[in-house]
This record gives sequence, structure tokens and C-alpha cells, in this order.
Amino acid sequence: MSTTTPNVPNVTPEEPSVTNDSLADRLYTVRYDDAGDSHLGVKLPGICAEKCHSYDCTSVCPADVWREGEDGVPHIAYENCLECGSCRWACPHGNVEWNYPTRGAGVSYKKG
Amino acid sequence: MSDDVRVNGEEPTTGEAESPDYDNAFDAIVVGAGLAGSAAAVTMANEGLDVLVIERGRYPGAKNVFGGVLYTPTLRELVDVTAAPVERYVAEKRFSMLSETDETAVSLRPGEWHDPPHNDSYTVLRGEFDRWFAEQAVEAGAVLVTETTVTGLLRDDSGKRIRGVETDRPDGAITADYVVLAEGGNSLVSEGADLKSVERAENIAVGVKEVLEFPENDTAIPDRFRLSDDAGASYHYFGEGAVGSAVGGGFIYTNEDTISVGLAYRLADARGRQPKPEQTLNAFKSHPAVAPLVRGARTVEYGAKTIPEGGHESVPQLVHDGAVVVGDAAGLVLNNGVHLEGTNMAIESGHLAGEAIAAAAQRGRTDEAALRSYPERLEASFVVKNLERYGWLMERVEADRDLIFEELPHALADAGAEYFRMDREPKEHHAEAARDRVLEAVGGWRGAAKLAYRYREVIR
Repeated sequence: MSTTTPNVPNVTPEEPSVTNDSLADRLYTVRYDDAGDSHLGVKLPGICAEKCHSYDCTSVCPADVWREGEDGVPHIAYENCLECGSCRWACPHGNVEWNYPTRGAGVSYKKG
Repeated sequence: MSDDVRVNGEEPTTGEAESPDYDNAFDAIVVGAGLAGSAAAVTMANEGLDVLVIERGRYPGAKNVFGGVLYTPTLRELVDVTAAPVERYVAEKRFSMLSETDETAVSLRPGEWHDPPHNDSYTVLRGEFDRWFAEQAVEAGAVLVTETTVTGLLRDDSGKRIRGVETDRPDGAITADYVVLAEGGNSLVSEGADLKSVERAENIAVGVKEVLEFPENDTAIPDRFRLSDDAGASYHYFGEGAVGSAVGGGFIYTNEDTISVGLAYRLADARGRQPKPEQTLNAFKSHPAVAPLVRGARTVEYGAKTIPEGGHESVPQLVHDGAVVVGDAAGLVLNNGVHLEGTNMAIESGHLAGEAIAAAAQRGRTDEAALRSYPERLEASFVVKNLERYGWLMERVEADRDLIFEELPHALADAGAEYFRMDREPKEHHAEAARDRVLEAVGGWRGAAKLAYRYREVIR
């Protein structure tokens, strides 16, 4: 008997499939009120440009807010922000500037 | 008194640019209308104090994300919960180890959990629940102001005593005898005022979560999770199939007509070349043991949060002259692998802090010593006792991470496959092969004994 076609009853093995939404679609599920300017920033751009090689802010962010920038300083898409705060602790240089959005702006969860 | 404020024609809960004159109108200011903040507000209002609750979101809960289970022993002592917006009571706890392709699980469904008070464990959605809980504080007499961000603390001339808060409103300084810092784990105000230091990334977990619904399939949740009526399920997952090589885990909680699916793992493990949290969530949902539970679902909401998991050692000083720190801001979260608790600790800490403030107010004192009954009672309560009991665990798990999160899930699945192998060999051979597979992973009988000894405190 061939090993490639074993003698077994004709059953179909499970092939579970799940379609995951894109991040853009996921972010579309939460309301965002734009305060007009960013509640996030870097304290000293020079540290990002010269001292940082790991870009941990970009790896940990669940909302793709932090993106590698051309000059070595991250580009910040603050309007994606889910306000978890991960970037603040992840940055090994403590170089993330983080303020609460003001006057009810920023993300609003309905479910949470 | 809150009534005075309303009589003056101000509507405290709207986002008008005009700031009502709240200066010195309140005995206490609570920063944040989450579980700890509302528990403190209810307690103080019931004791006759004039309480102002300041929430930065558009409504209480707007900024709040958690996994999914609210524990209610203290809550039931504080407020009438008969109309509380809970989703389901937890009737099953299931713990599951995932390798890349295997699942080995243990499920508990004690009959007792079907009877009130349902082991004080309910799935909730914070957007609804926190709003309701804050309403209870308002009904008890507290004043709630939303869409207002506390940006800093006011101190007296000596710089020692905290005497109020600075907000983002025009003329936004508000003074009061006591400030309750219930701002959550991302505690910018407490850190900015040097009430706590910045936590290490090793002690913070990042969590991501989706709330999913099943369009055109009304029976998906009861059918897939074997539930009837308001019974619900709590599924916890460990191992590389849940969170890759990180220290952490995944979860599924059933709500009334949605499920909450997510995971949380140490920020230190999310750095570098690890997949992003969102990709880790995708992989978890696609695991062969998880996908059949979530297939056909549609995302209702995506959320993220960080969890302070530093344990007892990370709890900052809880009382200061004129201020107390409660809930996640105080690092009061328990994660020992099988118990994931925070809501009960938040409510307990808010309640105890509120009582300490009320007692100090009665004596006309605002100094730290007068508030010390809060940390003392917290130390004597389940909150700190539980944190202390499992304080050793995270370090040991970190040391054994490969064994616990990768080798054991594999070995247990393989052993199961061997033990139940169907061929023409006698069962004796299968049992031996199963045993050998587990012993190989843990380092023989000696290794197994050592492992059991290392973790004996978990079940002591």
C-alpha cells in the first residue's frame, strides 16, 4: 500500500478558517474625535534618530499609530490611537510624550 | 452640596465651555469614573461628603477596556445591583493549553455557579456598566463631569499637601480637601505629580480584544459554548498557540449576544521582532481549536489596553497629604495564570479609600496619617493578601517560560495522543509512551518532583 494514499475512509479533515478584519476596518469600529493636535509626541527627536535601533514603539502598538519615519524619527498617526499607553512603557529611552486627549476627544469605546 | 450646584443653573454633565465655579464646593474630587472611582464616589457620597467625579471620556466607560469578567462581592455591598447591566453569569471556567496545532483543556462547571449569587462572576461590557455604576454615584449625591481631563494636581504653598486638581477647562483649577486618583493604569496624573514612578515594561502587559457578533446566527453562542438562558463561559488559553513565545494568554468570554476574544502578554515580549499584538490576535483566532468558536463572526469593536502586572512590589505609596491612589493606578491587578482579577480589587480599594476619607473628614484632617486606614485595611483585605500570595509566581514563570508555554503544551498533547492511540499494540505500551513523553519534557521523575515543588504554592 502506498504511504501517500493510506487506506482510510473518505473523510475531510477540518480546515478551520477565520477571516480577520484589516486593522483599518477594526479601527473603524471605534469612534474617534480629533482634538486638532496630537496627544502623542517624541520628547527629543534626536534620540529616535541617533540612539534608537529597535523601534519598539512600532512593534508594540496595537493600532499602527507609530510608524518608522524616513529620518529615523517615527511618524505618529495619532488619530488611530486606542489610548492603551503601550508605547510609553515600551520605549527603552523613555522618549514618548503622552498626554490625555482633552475635552472628551480621542477614542470612545461603546463596548469596552 | 451637589444640589447647590444644580440650583445655580449649571448642568454638570455637559461639555459646555463655561466652567461652573466648583472651587471649594466639594469635599473630595475623584479623578476617573471607572470602577475604583465610582466605588470611592458612592462610598463618600453615602457618608455625606460632597463629591465631584471628573471623567475625561464622553461618558463613564468611554475610555475603559477590560477582558470581560466583573467580580461583584464588594459591589453588592455598595449598591443595589438588581438592575445592573451584566451580560451573563460565569457558569463554566475552561483552561486550555495550546501548542501550534494541539489543545489540551480542563473544564469546570460546578452546579453551584448556576445559583445566586453565581460565584459573584459576570461578563459585562464596560461602556454600559461603567455608565450605570457612575449613575449610582450620582444618585447617591455625587456630581459627575465628563469630557474634562485632569492635567495635574494642585499643591499648597509648602508643596506637600495636595489641595485639588488642574483641568483642561478655562479657569480649570478646582480645590478640594481630598483627591482620589482613579485614573487607571496609564496614570499620567499620578506619575506627573511624583506619586508613583514609571513602571518597567516587564511589569506591564498589553491587551487587545475584539467584541464579535454572529450575524444571522442567533444560536451561535449557546450552541458553541453549550449555554442556556443567562449562563456564560470563561475560556482561558495558554501556550504558543495563544500568544506565541510571549508570557501571557488568550481568552474568550461570552456576553449576551456577543463574545469578547482577546489576549494579553508582557510588553517586554512584544518588543523587537515579535509579531504585532494585532497579528498575534489573528493567529490566536485562527488556531484550529479556536477558529470553530469564532468563525462567521463580525467585529463589533476592537480595543486595546495595558495592564499593570507588577504585583505587590509595584504598588506605590497609596496615601499622601490630601490624596489617595486606587485601582489600576495603584497597580491592584492579580494575574497568577488561573486567576485574572482586577475589577474586584478596584472596587474594594475605591471603597476602602472612600471610607478612610470620610473618617478623616469627620475629624477635620487631610494629612497622610489620617488616611492611613486605607492602606492598612487594604493590606488586611483579600486585595493585598492575594497579591502577596502570588508575588513569587511571575518571576518563576519567567524562568520556566519555555517549559510552561512551549514544551509542556506540546508534551501533554503528545502524551494524550499516545495514551489514546488506537492501533494493535496493548494499552500498556501506550501508557508507557505517554508517560515517557511527559517525563522527557519535565526532566524525568526528578524534574517532575522539582517542578511540582516549585509551584506547590499555587494550590497550597
